[in-house]
Amino acid sequence: MRYVVRGTWCVVVLGTWCVCAPVRLCAQQPSPLQRAFDLERRGSYPLAADAYRVVLRTDPADQSALLGLERSLSAVDRVAEMAPEVRAGLVAHPSPALYGLALRVWAAAGQVDSMRATAEQWAAGESDKIVPYRDWGDLLLQRRDLAGARRAYTLGRAASGKPEALSAELAQVAQLSGDFSGSAREWLLAQKVSPGYRGAAVSALVQTPERQREEVLKILAPESGGDGTFLAAVLLAQWGDPLRGAEALRRAVAAATDGRAGLALVAGFVEQVRALGTRDARRALGQSLELLADRQAAGPGARTRLEAARAFADGGDPASARRMLALIAADRTASGDLAVQAVRTLLEVQIAGGELEDAESTLTSRGDLLSIDDRGLLRRRLALAWMRKGELGRADRLAAVDSSVDGAALMGRLALLRGDLKGAKLLFQQAGPYAGTRAEATARTALLALIQPIEADSLPALGAALLALEQGDTVAAVAGLDRAALGLPPKSGGAQIGLLAAELEWARGGVVDAERRFKVVAATTVPATAPAAELGLARLLVSLHRGPEAIAQLEHLILTYPRSALVPEARHLLDEVRGAVPAT
Amino acid sequence: MKRRDFVGAMMVGGLATRGLRVPRRSVAADAADYILIPMDDAQAEHLKAYGVTFRLLERQGRGEWLLNYRNGSFLLPADAGTERDAALSGVTTLSISASEADRIRAEIAGTNADAVPLEKAPKVAVYVPPGTVPWDDAVTMALNYAGIKFEKVWDAEVIGDKLSTYDWLHLHHEDFTGQYSKFYLTYAGAPWLREMVELNTQMARRLGFPNVPATKKAVAEKIRAFVDRGGFLFAMCTATETLDLALAAHDVDIAASYADNTPMDPGASARLDWAHALAFTGGQIEASPTVPQFSDIDGHQVNSLGRRQPLGSYTLFEYSAKIDPVNTMLTQSHRQVIPDFYGLTTSFMKNRIKPGVTILADEPGAPWAKYIHGELGQGTWTFYGGHDPEDPQHAIGDPPTDLSLHPHSPGYRLILNNVLFPAAKKKELKT
Repeated sequence: MRYVVRGTWCVVVLGTWCVCAPVRLCAQQPSPLQRAFDLERRGSYPLAADAYRVVLRTDPADQSALLGLERSLSAVDRVAEMAPEVRAGLVAHPSPALYGLALRVWAAAGQVDSMRATAEQWAAGESDKIVPYRDWGDLLLQRRDLAGARRAYTLGRAASGKPEALSAELAQVAQLSGDFSGSAREWLLAQKVSPGYRGAAVSALVQTPERQREEVLKILAPESGGDGTFLAAVLLAQWGDPLRGAEALRRAVAAATDGRAGLALVAGFVEQVRALGTRDARRALGQSLELLADRQAAGPGARTRLEAARAFADGGDPASARRMLALIAADRTASGDLAVQAVRTLLEVQIAGGELEDAESTLTSRGDLLSIDDRGLLRRRLALAWMRKGELGRADRLAAVDSSVDGAALMGRLALLRGDLKGAKLLFQQAGPYAGTRAEATARTALLALIQPIEADSLPALGAALLALEQGDTVAAVAGLDRAALGLPPKSGGAQIGLLAAELEWARGGVVDAERRFKVVAATTVPATAPAAELGLARLLVSLHRGPEAIAQLEHLILTYPRSALVPEARHLLDEVRGAVPAT
Repeated sequence: MKRRDFVGAMMVGGLATRGLRVPRRSVAADAADYILIPMDDAQAEHLKAYGVTFRLLERQGRGEWLLNYRNGSFLLPADAGTERDAALSGVTTLSISASEADRIRAEIAGTNADAVPLEKAPKVAVYVPPGTVPWDDAVTMALNYAGIKFEKVWDAEVIGDKLSTYDWLHLHHEDFTGQYSKFYLTYAGAPWLREMVELNTQMARRLGFPNVPATKKAVAEKIRAFVDRGGFLFAMCTATETLDLALAAHDVDIAASYADNTPMDPGASARLDWAHALAFTGGQIEASPTVPQFSDIDGHQVNSLGRRQPLGSYTLFEYSAKIDPVNTMLTQSHRQVIPDFYGLTTSFMKNRIKPGVTILADEPGAPWAKYIHGELGQGTWTFYGGHDPEDPQHAIGDPPTDLSLHPHSPGYRLILNNVLFPAAKKKELKT
């Protein structure tokens, strides 16, 4: 409404200029309205207001002058002062623009009763009764007068005779009042007015406090297949139960008579759930993509199934993933590129699901479809999976055919797990710092640092301990590290192995034993290892909220090993514990 | 220690006296009589160096601030506590003998430098609402990082005359016009704003004021009295401009209606009493309640789309340590030109600064100053525009600045110069 009025105002200004142009040429005297406009543009708001009032003395209903006066006075927080001009304008020539202005002025002046009277007077002359009541309610809402705004909207609904009128506005009022059930009822009505309200409804209702959620879901009736199902499905997904959401959606789509509408609902849900990262959300995504694929044409449907397979695989549902992949394989219309991606996904599913024999068979029979890089990557993943199962021989056979730096890094790990320290060092050096991801390179460097001080070429006990670690058995790994360290002098790897054992012990929650182990290593005074143990101990103490002890430990580290590379890290931790810098 | 004592004595005392003397020992012991903390580019932790010096003063030790010598170095007695503290803080130190110290003093005597004795750790207060996280105030961050102890005060303490127990007071982005930084309309409904409004309204009620603007005016008056009685005031960001506006508006309504339920006096700008303000004069109030700017004192107008000025760099003025010791102390830095940074008040228009106020840093060619200093009664005040020297575009909700990533920050050094400034003691008269 305001924009329309402003447009009119511009036309009036332009018209005024055209009419006055000859006069301007003669007298060079700007019109009163032009003068007011210039003053306003220069930011002289009080003077501009005076100039607009001059115009209004001649024509009290001049919309341009009234709106200019409003702009000038709102810039200096004095809109309420223009009440006399508005009253005069309404008497002279009432119009929708003037009624709207009057509502804003009464709102600024806090004249709530006048607002109601003006809105009703305005509505009496309008065929569309909604606008006056909406303007009135909006202004009250801006003033945080929730009860007043609700009354305005409700009166507007009654006056319009439409039960769903002003539902989005009433939903907002209900939400601001903390009544999320009421808000849900109104959003359901709003969806009938326009499906475009869905996004706004989700954004609003997702904020429902936990204790009101079940009540909101009851109103939306997710199982009914009605208008609220989509809202309920998305809300369930956002509130941490995406599988229930996907199930509700499936029922709603199955019950839908309009196929296109069903497709839109599923697509909307997919977009919402795709952004969530949990395992359940991935499975819900897989389920909704499957629904979507069933409603798509063959080509796009196959692609959607591939994405569904990946989502199922990520969500820990390999059976569903394989079902999707089987459908793609059976689809004669699927492109070659899609078949390649399907093979890749199948291998990923098989490896992730521990079906290593099947994966090896797939790699042998259909691996030639893949690019060299993809084939190498999947072969190494399979080798790693065998390694974690303790099948070092099978892992070796797969890794041996890989002459890349990534292959050398993998072979190095395998050598280490067999206790072949000399071979591992050689292979890690061959792999260099660029094989694999940055995290893998860092882990490799840490392993190299672990074995370098050890003089022996072979230490099977260490390999066994590290294999237990690869297999996720931290208890066995710590025990194995203790066995490996037996007889090793601190300077010849004993301290380094002890430090790793301490870190693992802490990681598995054995803080008392970890503290003891850190202290033992710290007491060895082995360069590099002892300060690392002190830093580890300090971190442990920080995690246990033993700040003063952590501070003492860190101070000891800094003062005892001033040249250690860990000193800057120790200083930063010291600053954190003391509250000198924000915690990272 | 009052500012007037300090400056007067500096002028009379001249160069002859030395605040720090270490008795001569044997030649062997002579090798480590002093610790020199260089503050030029050789320093690894410029900011923490202030903390090491401050803590020595807290332990009743004494030191010297070598103004204009290696960018404001510190000469401290070589005691184990200071050495340990410096090592833990990562502060670069040089062990020097008494004869080397004498050589430095001789060099200082022949140049535009001077040695100022540091004798007593000032008692520091920071004006901050309760519950505020320390990461949204540059001074609190600098103090925490350097390890300088401080206490927090707010309206109740100020109105209750607790300021008289402190030497140094810091104000940051408090809005002393009582308009919640004029974010009330722009951020309506934001939880942090609701909290701020609630907190301030409750405090106003508790202290018996009719509204928040009235409370803040009373607080501003108390702060002015603190300076007048000899306190050291350091303000940044909005606190600079709004403190003066609150002082000048003691009988004028300059607050929007949302803050005190009455509209601003339409003729407010003309009715302001600038004689009562500390730094500024002739400012025109920003009348719009929706523009988060307060007046035309700020040169950059960061939150006003049409008026916002881009950031440049500001340059510190150089002073003679022997003639202008106070200004020299406040401008000690290893960088003369420093990148500018925004705040709700970023800079101060020179045509709004009172005559007699010292401009310590400005942007050459620009009509604004960045860093200014002046006196009132027995005390002094220093205003530094901008919010966070290492977060030039600071916005609400930005991640906190980690000063360990900026240990050489010249912008933060200026803050710490101000903290140590009250520790400088007058020199003894030469008789």
